[in-house]
Amino acid sequence: MNSDAKREALERILAESREIRGVSLWQDAWSRLRRNRTAMISLWCLMLLATLAIMTPLLPLQSPIDKDLSQRKFLPPNVGTVVMGSRPGLKFAGGTLSGQMAEFEESIRAMESKAQSTSDPKERAKIKQSIEDRIEVEHPFNQMWNDLGPVAWWMCEMRVAVFGDYAIPSLFGTDKLGRDLLARVFWGARVSLIVGIVATLVSLIIGVSYGAIAGYFGGNIDAAMMRVVDMLYSIPFIFVVIFLVTFLGEDSVKKKLDSIGIDQITIFYIVIGAIYWLTMSRVVRGQVLSLKHEQFVDAARTVGASQTRIIFRHLVPNVLGIVIVYLTLTIPAVMLFEAFLSFLGLGVSPPDVSWGLLVNDGVQAITPLKTRWWLVVFPGAALAGTLFALNFLGDGLRDALDPRMKNRT
Amino acid sequence: MPPEVRRGFVIFAGLVVVAAVIWAARVEHTPPAEFAFQNGTDPSTIDPHRATGQPEGRIIFELFEGLLRMLPEGDPDPETGLQPMTPQPAMAETYDISGDGKTYTFHLRDGIFWTDGTPVTAHDFAWSWMRMLHPATACEYAYLINEVALAEPFNKSIVEVGDRVEVELWDRPGESPGGEASLQHFPRGTMKYGTLRNIVKPDEPKIAKDASEEKREEITQDWRERWIYEVDVVELESDGSFAADSTATLQRYSVSPDIAQSDDGIQQAHWVLVDFQHFGGAQAIDDKTFVVRLNNSVPYFLNLVAWYPSFPVQKNCVETYGSPMWTKTENIVTNGPFKLQFRRLRDRIRAEKNPDYWNAKNVSFKTVDFVSLESQNTALNMYETGQLHWIYQLPTSVMEDLEVRDDYHSAPKLSVYFYKLNNDVPPLDDIRVRQAISMAIDRKQIVQQVTKGGEQPAYSVVPPGIAGYKGAEGLKENVQRAQQLLAEAGFPQGRGFPKISLLYNTSERHRPVAEVLQQQLQNNLNIKVEIKNMEWGSFVETVQQEKYEMARYGWVGDYPDPNTFLDLWVSDNPQSNTNWSNPEYDGLLKSASGELDPAKRMELLRQAETILATELPIIPIYFYTSAEMAKTNIVGFAPSALDLHPLSVLRFRTDDSQPAKD
Amino acid sequence: MRDLFSYLIKRAAWMVLTLWAVYTVSFILMRSVPGNPFGGERNVPPAIERQLMARYNLDAPPLQQYWDYLVGIVTRFDLGWCMGLEDYSVNQVLAEGFPVSATLAIFALVFAIILGVSAGVVSAVFRRSKADVALMFAAVLGIAVPNFVLASLAILLFVFMIQIFPAGGWGTLQQIALPAFCLGLPVAAYIARLTRTGMLEMLTKDHVRTAIAKGLPYRTVIMRHVLPGALLPVVSYLGPAVARVLTGSLVLEKIFAIPGMGSHFINAATQRDYTLAMGMVLTYTVLLFVMNTLVDLAYAIIDPRVKLQ
Repeated sequence: MNSDAKREALERILAESREIRGVSLWQDAWSRLRRNRTAMISLWCLMLLATLAIMTPLLPLQSPIDKDLSQRKFLPPNVGTVVMGSRPGLKFAGGTLSGQMAEFEESIRAMESKAQSTSDPKERAKIKQSIEDRIEVEHPFNQMWNDLGPVAWWMCEMRVAVFGDYAIPSLFGTDKLGRDLLARVFWGARVSLIVGIVATLVSLIIGVSYGAIAGYFGGNIDAAMMRVVDMLYSIPFIFVVIFLVTFLGEDSVKKKLDSIGIDQITIFYIVIGAIYWLTMSRVVRGQVLSLKHEQFVDAARTVGASQTRIIFRHLVPNVLGIVIVYLTLTIPAVMLFEAFLSFLGLGVSPPDVSWGLLVNDGVQAITPLKTRWWLVVFPGAALAGTLFALNFLGDGLRDALDPRMKNRT
Repeated sequence: MPPEVRRGFVIFAGLVVVAAVIWAARVEHTPPAEFAFQNGTDPSTIDPHRATGQPEGRIIFELFEGLLRMLPEGDPDPETGLQPMTPQPAMAETYDISGDGKTYTFHLRDGIFWTDGTPVTAHDFAWSWMRMLHPATACEYAYLINEVALAEPFNKSIVEVGDRVEVELWDRPGESPGGEASLQHFPRGTMKYGTLRNIVKPDEPKIAKDASEEKREEITQDWRERWIYEVDVVELESDGSFAADSTATLQRYSVSPDIAQSDDGIQQAHWVLVDFQHFGGAQAIDDKTFVVRLNNSVPYFLNLVAWYPSFPVQKNCVETYGSPMWTKTENIVTNGPFKLQFRRLRDRIRAEKNPDYWNAKNVSFKTVDFVSLESQNTALNMYETGQLHWIYQLPTSVMEDLEVRDDYHSAPKLSVYFYKLNNDVPPLDDIRVRQAISMAIDRKQIVQQVTKGGEQPAYSVVPPGIAGYKGAEGLKENVQRAQQLLAEAGFPQGRGFPKISLLYNTSERHRPVAEVLQQQLQNNLNIKVEIKNMEWGSFVETVQQEKYEMARYGWVGDYPDPNTFLDLWVSDNPQSNTNWSNPEYDGLLKSASGELDPAKRMELLRQAETILATELPIIPIYFYTSAEMAKTNIVGFAPSALDLHPLSVLRFRTDDSQPAKD
Repeated sequence: MRDLFSYLIKRAAWMVLTLWAVYTVSFILMRSVPGNPFGGERNVPPAIERQLMARYNLDAPPLQQYWDYLVGIVTRFDLGWCMGLEDYSVNQVLAEGFPVSATLAIFALVFAIILGVSAGVVSAVFRRSKADVALMFAAVLGIAVPNFVLASLAILLFVFMIQIFPAGGWGTLQQIALPAFCLGLPVAAYIARLTRTGMLEMLTKDHVRTAIAKGLPYRTVIMRHVLPGALLPVVSYLGPAVARVLTGSLVLEKIFAIPGMGSHFINAATQRDYTLAMGMVLTYTVLLFVMNTLVDLAYAIIDPRVKLQ
């Protein structure tokens, strides 16, 4: 029959209409956003920050974990030159990181040539193995950075190749154990941003699906699902989090989770994400409720699209605008929450750093006798600045995506 | 809603807000106490027989008073600044010690009263010691007076056939046979006394070989509860003495309600314990004389008598209100230099001078605040603004600024900071590995750069400053030797060494030490350490279940003797948790406890300590020092080795008593 | 009025259900955390541990414990004895801590509303002025700075540099001022932003334009026609605001050494004080639920468009 053809035609029209609608909305929003100066500055700042955070291992920063207790405790911000690996306690060859690396590589090469010269394959495999062991354990990087992943390792190698032993002076000062605060702020950014983003994504997935399903089905299902949300709103989640973090931090539990490849920080994201989805789900539900009687949904239904498809292909993309706005508002909330948990001693554990941990350390150092202001000001400014930018961006996006603002300037 | 309702509602809401603000603004103004100090964590109890921590101890030392009291004697040591403290007569005016050191006779002074006006008698002490040792009190310090005759079997509820026993029947107030147990173990039910003739034990249960220790204990305990005790009960005469044995009648008792229910001839009892009340080593001869008999002489026994678990509580008060209600402000009866005025959770305990105290004329402060305060920064802030007069936990970040001030006091403490190693976990089971780790730690850096309170590096466990004792040398830092040892153990340059985890309880004081240790082991041995923190509760649990590799610990001496630091590590001590055992070590400690000659005893203990410092089941880091701030106008404040500061001897300097020195 | 009652009854039923769910979840969570509350430093002999377990009914099978405790709470409001603070029952702890936390929260909220609404109005009325920019900048700052940082800075500033407030403790109005300020500031910032947005929106409404065109004094228009409508979002934010103040007080009570419920809450959770922790969770749940209900109710009464359901 020609219903196929009709259907095809219909779908084509549908696709076209969706295309037109979508494009115009986004373009319109974009052009409005571009006119909002604060939002644009925030956006650029955030992008710069994200880039810097990703590139941190490449930057000529000092070691975030190497503690120089005798020389460099509580140094105020300064521009004194610092040579990587020059701390006597490290006993690096020539007092530099590159010197030690050269020496180390030399000895590895010696072993390699020995491996080449042996004919016995078993012996060779054994030497190869011990080379790998040595690189893993004795490489000077272990003294300067903690648990580098393969990418970060490679970036650190690049950094040494490009900058050698040069390191940016302690522009942000040093902390009570003589670590460079600038480096720590940068390395902390990686953890804080990842916690913020991943936890928010988790909340996004839960909140959007939940809200969309409730809104789409409506009626009793909706009522029941929303009552559950109401109920959850009344639960003091901080308590649940404290409990979960303690519970999941137990050795026995941790080993079990490790065996299925989940580490503590992942759990951290999931736990936080799992409590920040409530508002998101309410907002999405509201939007879906108003959208579901729109013609394009009816049309999709008429052509026989499944309900899952309608929800996730037709409705969800249409609420994306508001979702993005809430996203930019949830990330700061999550980052603040991470700081709060650090204050309670439940955050990331050293030598990992996060901004929350740094700010908390800084607050500890504020006493009536001595104000080591740099310890709280720099990490605090980094945290507050990011939250600031996210808030402004969120506001800008809300204005930009608000259809009522369409003809206003 | 009609508009009037709306408007009405807005007005109503406004009124509610105003009312709330007025309610919130009511100020129950409490005048500040004359003397206030930081007392650490909120005390969990002020019952002397239940308390364990230092904050609780400080309060109990002021509210209650024992036979003796730790008080300053002589002048502070010019070198260390330590104020010598000795047990001095308190409730007891004098005491005699028998030649073999096994019998102590305390003579109570006249004019000592409880705060309810009744006199303090020797019977109060006898009863209090029994309460402290009673298994149901669950006093954690009961083991300290194990040497008192019959104290140990009474406390651990061990009875043997032939023992003189006491039986407490199941008829405490509010109890019916077979019904719910009353949780108040004082006042006791009807007591029966006699001689244990036989114990009818059911077949010993089979315990699966792979059963966990917990399960084992549970099964044994269940089994013990089903024992039937056959006792020749002797009636008491009206004056409390025993009638002749010929009047004894055989009675059968069981603590299990099921067994008592199933057989009319068996009575249900709470406890069948040795008769400590009549035959134990703590007896009141008359109102003024209290006699203690020991199984073996204990050189530091007077210190134990001056230690708060052996302080008296009033029988009438405890029995009337029950535990813990008797500790409430409106109920509590005490006998110390101060009495409780009010207790506010997480805020403070306010005590006022007790006018009926025998030595009240020498107590200066009218009111004293024990302020519950954990945060070091907050404490310092409050000290600097004059809200506190004495703080003892100082933020390390400003130590350099504090230690040069006049109001700073520092002195060695009888306590040690160390890391426990789980000696069952490879590679820590290898003595060379343990020695390597210990030698690779730069303790000087830790005490000088991290803790900064004047702590002394520790290479062994007994702190310096115990009279007549010179500690073991221990192994000093030696990185080369450490690397060599590690290589000998099969980990050249740290290759193949697994990542070990280091556990500490959440605290701003422990984290930097752990972080520095992490760096030192990484730098010197290429050993990777993962640091983890846990709240105290989980931390202790994890260590006790031996699910750790390295764990931070501290030990504060209970009495000034090496024994308190050394007997932790004997093979069967449940608090060791290191899985380390050395028969030679156990033997040395055992012979030391039987040795009467102090010099020889100390030598035996020193040999034991040398073993410990060589095998290193634990890695000592440093000996604590106290670092505290006390306002300069306080007279009588000086640090002491056991960290005791009796408030009753402190006073403010008055202008006329202070000669113009500077 | 009938709606109102049926609404309240419905909410009460939901509250009971919520409490039951919270009770169940907390019970399971607490019992599944490894470790027991009596793991003191010195090992307790088994016989004595049994005594302790019996005191807290921990020797019964878990289901029995679940039921007994629930019955105790429902019939006698008896939350049992604290496991950590052994001289206190949970009810006594709550009775001592609640008034303190409530006082702090009331001051913080009232302060936040007054400051937030005034700032919002000023910045909306003088839109795009320097005052507007400054206020909104301050508002974002208030939202972005963690309150423990704020508290430390406030102590430095108002306790040591300008010595007008004591450093901590509880009992006088002076001691309440600083923590209430730190607690209320982020909420005030949020309220200011909400008020400003609401005002701007109302200013574009036809009836407001008409009123202005009619020549009514500007002040009257603002107070009569703009503000009531603009405050609606603020009212609906009060529910989350209470939650925020309660969470925030956990931190501030710690920093300022205030003996409220918040400090108990953290300790109970981390120290395995099962009974106290349970009491705290249930109390906070009731508080949040009641506040949310009151806010919804207020919203329905104030806003003619909203119906109770």
